Amino acid sequence: MLSRTGKSSKKPTSARTPWFAVRRDLGAQRSSLLTTFSFLLPVAIWCLVSYCPFIWHPDVQLQIAANREDVNTTFTAGDRVSRDYFPEFQEAVRTQNVSIRERRAGGETFSSRANKKLLRQVVPIAIANGWLTEDQATDDEAIYGIWRDLATGEKVSTRPELTDENLAIARENWEIMSAASPTYDSDQYPTQPFAQMIPQGAPSNPDYLPPPHEVVVMGIKEFQREVDENQPSMTDRLAHSVKIVFGGFLISCLIGLPLGVLCGTYQFFSKLFEPFVDFFRYMPAPAFSTLLVALFAANDAPKVALVVVGTLFQMVLVIAKTTRLLDVSLLEAAQTLGAKQRQLVTKVVIPGIMPNLYNDLRILLGWAWTWLVIAELIGVKSGLTELIETQGRWRNFDRVFPVIILIGMMGFFTDQVLAWLHRILFPYAEGNQNRKPSIVGRAITWFPRWLVAAANDRLPPDLSRPRNHAPEPADNISLDKIPS
Amino acid sequence: MTAVATLPDYREQSPAVAERFRKLKQRPVVLSVRGLGKTFGSTEGTVTALQGLDFDVYRREFMCVIGQSGCGKSTLIRILSGLEQPTSGELLLDGKVVHGPGPDRGMVFQSYTLFPWLTVKQNVMFGPKMAGRTGTAVEQEARQWIEMVGLSDFENSYPFQLSGGMKQRVAIARALANQPRILLMDEPFGALDAQTRAQMQEYLLQIWKNIDITILFITHDLDEAVFLADRILVLKAKPGRIDEIIEVPVPRPRSLDQAIDPEYLATKHRINELIHPREQRGGGGVEIPRMTMAGDEVE
Repeated sequence: MLSRTGKSSKKPTSARTPWFAVRRDLGAQRSSLLTTFSFLLPVAIWCLVSYCPFIWHPDVQLQIAANREDVNTTFTAGDRVSRDYFPEFQEAVRTQNVSIRERRAGGETFSSRANKKLLRQVVPIAIANGWLTEDQATDDEAIYGIWRDLATGEKVSTRPELTDENLAIARENWEIMSAASPTYDSDQYPTQPFAQMIPQGAPSNPDYLPPPHEVVVMGIKEFQREVDENQPSMTDRLAHSVKIVFGGFLISCLIGLPLGVLCGTYQFFSKLFEPFVDFFRYMPAPAFSTLLVALFAANDAPKVALVVVGTLFQMVLVIAKTTRLLDVSLLEAAQTLGAKQRQLVTKVVIPGIMPNLYNDLRILLGWAWTWLVIAELIGVKSGLTELIETQGRWRNFDRVFPVIILIGMMGFFTDQVLAWLHRILFPYAEGNQNRKPSIVGRAITWFPRWLVAAANDRLPPDLSRPRNHAPEPADNISLDKIPS
Repeated sequence: MTAVATLPDYREQSPAVAERFRKLKQRPVVLSVRGLGKTFGSTEGTVTALQGLDFDVYRREFMCVIGQSGCGKSTLIRILSGLEQPTSGELLLDGKVVHGPGPDRGMVFQSYTLFPWLTVKQNVMFGPKMAGRTGTAVEQEARQWIEMVGLSDFENSYPFQLSGGMKQRVAIARALANQPRILLMDEPFGALDAQTRAQMQEYLLQIWKNIDITILFITHDLDEAVFLADRILVLKAKPGRIDEIIEVPVPRPRSLDQAIDPEYLATKHRINELIHPREQRGGGGVEIPRMTMAGDEVE
């Protein structure tokens, strides 16, 4: 991934180094190979489960559905029924067809409205084959033509291929239709009862596991606002979610950073704040959701507040701990060098904990992301979560998955970028010491690095004291006498 | 035992050395310790770490403090640096009582304690900056100190890029940049390998020779103490108190070759007797059962 290969490319990665060696370095090439695989593997499993019909596929997705007169539940094409129930379903329709034929022979008639409805059974096939558009689903004239074409063989369905049984039914129905009127005529609509095509379907996974390609296609469509033009676009939703996460996190930082550093530095603050904070963090943030809505009412405020409640208390404790981990001997050394109380904090504690603090904030930002979904659910649903919530309820999981993956990617890539910045901002920190950041990296991060350097170097150390006063007489140093 | 008999008395001083000590004691006293005591209180009672310490360190003297572990060496230097408060007695620097840490007493720790986020130069400039001094003059001065410890090529390096010996040289330069009255060194070379340590000892003597600085140096290494010190303060444990203050009869300038001189060995032998009393020698009284059937004897 982002690891530098410079160091290990010098030593040849010997093929003899075993892949499994306890706590041994695998080398850059193998490491990045495995990193790639760690992402490919889950995707491969997903593909395997989705595209190999023999692996799981407990359901049958209907391509042709049928109405059953005796059952209340109606299935339409696209619905999934369990693999066990499907043959039973087919058999029931066959039996129904037999009784229909008997009733037809007995001279029973249906209303033309009921018959039109029955003939619309071919609409899903027609749409799947591209003979009709979605808008033509109730265009009975076109549907009439399709039955004719199917019966005469002028149109051959490829999605799905019709069984001989169903082709026979098409011909049977067309015989009745053409006897009444060879072209569509609403006045001469046949009234003899029609048989229905026997349901056809393909093995499929349950709706909660859409195949990868559907998720990808839907994700792209969602971004291009092709799915639902009346709704906010995915980009807008993402921006909204980012606003909530970063807004909440920023407020947490504004309070939590100084408080954490104070608690870690002075026992006074530690004893005053930490016990309560420690208690408070056990109360789950979502428990406050209604309270926050009552408090902040409007739109995003309670959502941001929830992220704050979810991260602030952890932040204080984590940062206090990091601050306490600073080597005490550094503070002692600074004191023997003349640092006063305030300088100990500004010149030793804060710069000293910076690299660890930065990493803590990275982890805490991850926490903030995990609160996002709950935050967006409270009050008026919004952002990415609204999409998950509403589409999930309609079982449109192919629209839910892209959102979940997007949230994951956002968090992951932010973290990767921050990790990479860490190496450039804190080249002296443990773990960064032997890595050389690239020229591009240094160029991009010039400004933040300059800020850090300025804080270390250029700010006046103590404004309360006179600056640039005359140095001590240096007559007691006689450097020239030192033998080289 | 026979070798010991042939050693001179460690109190015998050549005329030159005797003259040196006479002059030394005429110099002003930089650090004066009066009736210093320290007790640590705990739930199981109190422990007396130091009791009734009285000694003076003269200007530009090099004094070593040696003693068994647990004799209060570290407590002593922490009190002298102001990082700990004594429970009794007082501490005078140039005749004035001092409390708490300050830049007038520089400290070098065994664990280097360089600020990892600062470069070598920034580390050296830390003290002056704390005193509110900035600008090119301070930077120039820092460069001189860095040059003095021979690290000019590394002034923009971070501490992690330096070896142990180099780090400790930076720590010395950093302490000296404050121009302290006394340099307190707490086993500064304890973490270094033998070669580097010997180098650093010679280095330290060179610096000491050329700068107006008084050094109080804590060590547990007999050779280090004898090689470096004018006087050696030997501490006794439980409670920590002064056993003897030894005037090292080895003439200056010192070199590693003197390590086989009779007066060197006599001094070392004396300290050895003081800090490893005869009754404590010989495996500490633990009887090891014989666990080998091999015939050849090693002793």
